[in-house]
Amino acid sequence: MAIDLGRIEALAIDQASLKAAAGLAKPGKWSGVGGSADGALIWGECAGSGANPYRVMADLRDLGNKCSCPSRKFPCKHALALLWLNAEAVVTFGPGEIPAWVSDWLGRRRGASAAPAGAAAKPASDAPKDLRAAQRAEPEAPEDPKAAARREASAAKRSEDTERVILDSLDALEQWIGDQLRMGLAAFIDDATARCRRIAARLVDGKAAALAGRIDELPARLLGHPAGDRPRAAVVELGKLVLLARAFRAAPRDADIRRAVASSESRETVLASSDTMRVTGLWEVLAEQVQTRRDGLVSQTTWLLNLGLEGPRFAMLLDYFPASAGRRTSAFTPGERFTGAIAFFPGRNPLRGLLLQRAADGSDPQGWPEAAPDLAEALTAPLHAEPWALDIPLLLPPGRVAIDAAGQGWWRPADATMALPLAEGVEGLIRGTELTRAAALWSGNRLAILAAQTPWGRIGADG
Amino acid sequence: MAEAIYDVLGQVLTRWTMGSAAAPVAHVWKAEIGEDPIEAELRLLALSGQFLGMAVIAEPPADLRALPDLPTLALPTLPDAARSLARRVLAAGDARHKRALAEFVAGRGWTLHPADWMPSASEEDAPDVYAPWRDWIEAATTGSGSRGASEGLTAANWADFWPAARNAALAELRRHDPGAARVLLETRLPGEGADTRLRLLGQLTQGLSEADAPFLETLAAGDRAPKVKALAASLLARLGRGSAVGEEATELAGFFTLGTKGLLRRSRTIAANGLKTHAQRIRRQTLFAGADYTGFAAALGMSGEELAAIWVWGDDVQADIELAGMAERSASDAIVADLATALAEHMPAR
Repeated sequence: MAIDLGRIEALAIDQASLKAAAGLAKPGKWSGVGGSADGALIWGECAGSGANPYRVMADLRDLGNKCSCPSRKFPCKHALALLWLNAEAVVTFGPGEIPAWVSDWLGRRRGASAAPAGAAAKPASDAPKDLRAAQRAEPEAPEDPKAAARREASAAKRSEDTERVILDSLDALEQWIGDQLRMGLAAFIDDATARCRRIAARLVDGKAAALAGRIDELPARLLGHPAGDRPRAAVVELGKLVLLARAFRAAPRDADIRRAVASSESRETVLASSDTMRVTGLWEVLAEQVQTRRDGLVSQTTWLLNLGLEGPRFAMLLDYFPASAGRRTSAFTPGERFTGAIAFFPGRNPLRGLLLQRAADGSDPQGWPEAAPDLAEALTAPLHAEPWALDIPLLLPPGRVAIDAAGQGWWRPADATMALPLAEGVEGLIRGTELTRAAALWSGNRLAILAAQTPWGRIGADG
Repeated sequence: MAEAIYDVLGQVLTRWTMGSAAAPVAHVWKAEIGEDPIEAELRLLALSGQFLGMAVIAEPPADLRALPDLPTLALPTLPDAARSLARRVLAAGDARHKRALAEFVAGRGWTLHPADWMPSASEEDAPDVYAPWRDWIEAATTGSGSRGASEGLTAANWADFWPAARNAALAELRRHDPGAARVLLETRLPGEGADTRLRLLGQLTQGLSEADAPFLETLAAGDRAPKVKALAASLLARLGRGSAVGEEATELAGFFTLGTKGLLRRSRTIAANGLKTHAQRIRRQTLFAGADYTGFAAALGMSGEELAAIWVWGDDVQADIELAGMAERSASDAIVADLATALAEHMPAR
């Protein structure tokens, strides 16, 4: 089904959207592009600034479209770019089976698609828009060597200034921790939310945003423990903060530590770094965790299991978007497998990554890899390398969930030589079957099962 | 060393909880934490946190127990392709819709995957095929051991069945040997509680026959629970027995006007009186729910068959619904068939 560029021009909300779309209407930015057999639907995945590519889909009958990006503009630049790719036949939208995420969207808009095509494709704005102007490259000013040197010097100075400000805020943090000990942990636990909010605000001012976010979530983690265990949990949490502050003082340029204290590198920085590890292989989506944070952001964490032999066993894709942007479509379905390339943020134990490319769903019947031979070692080794880490992903050997008299769940290996307490109440099937293999997050004292292999097949944490 | 640290950490935690300095009691780390009191507290916090976070894992209680394996059902679970569709339906629906899907799937020879849906122990309306899961959940909740009933239900092995499995086994017995199921109920019903008696007696709706009448009459006259008596009476009414014109049926008949039509072959007609108030509507609804079909027909001065023949469908839809409910509950299968035929004839062709 052919569409002309004039309709895309009319659909765009402003010239800036067209300009941005022009930059994305290139084959290299897209993967998983396809179309329905009747040519009415097209879809694709576009690399954005987040860890996951955005899922973009459009109905050519009325130019209805949807994108999983958090943009408030409608249509967003990704949807315009997808239409553009189709209008100019930049890539081939080969007919294929409609993915579940497209048919889900289609099901939800069934009523809307019955509307007259003219109404749906009504221009969003009367401001003049020009597709060809959007395609023109901006003239680049010739590089001035002196200006470049000045820029570098100024960037270095900025970095030093930032470091000094962060060090000041870490002093304030340690003083605050000392105060909590002096006033008593019992009082701290009772008033943790307000106290943590105050020091988190100070850390945001002191350019230690990542640390501030972590402290903002500290009360929620404390409350996740039984009341009698909270003083111990508070000591562990505050102790990790001291270790992290000391680590930053010792090595302020260390990528892992800087990420935990200040902020993460941008996508461009990670991709440009020579330390970045790129792993192409078969991945299985273990679970997706969506959490609304106290700072108004929603974090979307996707845990992936590497089914191949090379590279880290796990990858974590982490994206943030404002809670006000509403519920966001998941980029993955738990259990799905795909072949893809992941760029890992540089670090001692590479874990956080960016999904660069994602090919068609893998149909490889390959099983999960073996668990680490020494479970005790697997539980503690990552904490030796990064003692401030909060969650460690690991593969567990064959085991089973057992229940105590209070209904609390415990994971036990098949030989019952140990028992690890589970983080949340477990219900349903997971309590009544052998777990031939399980992927879990270990927080140092609680285990959260992400997914497991069982005689009933693969199950998620809630099954 | 670890033992010494454990000993010290007990005191350290107590002191910090109360707001006292803990460094003075941490002899094991004296060299590491130094002399400066403020710095010593922070270093002790880092060391204690690291030790507690890595080396100390909660001790499991002695009463830890693993539940038995979730039983395999008589029907296979949905194949993967259909499972993803079922998951989407389950995600969108409430408990009633989920159960409806379970029934739909069971009707076609499959069951839902236990990771996608499981009935609760008290979900009486769940299809019988899920009875082993309901009983497994009940056993898990109550901490009871397994019951080893694997053969058909008899008076002797009655107690070996969990309630849901027993209900399913009784339904199966009633389907292929209605008399044996009734005899079993005659033996075991008196020992059960009122709710269980009511649920078990409901099984007689399947294959109800004259042979059940003496047992039902005993219950209708002498059961301890009014709701069991009422159910027995309505089952008897379906057999065309014991439906004396009660006060409720007489009052309900007052909501209708009888007339005649035709010149040569005069036939009777029935029309619902107009309802002026909401209270009247509620009252009529209550009477329909309480009276039995044959009694209502008798109060109108006619047989159940005649009422089914002259009822005018579509004039008062609410009355239609209430009459259908009353018939479903208390009319004989033949009358229900007559009413269904008349209703189908009334429905406009689509």
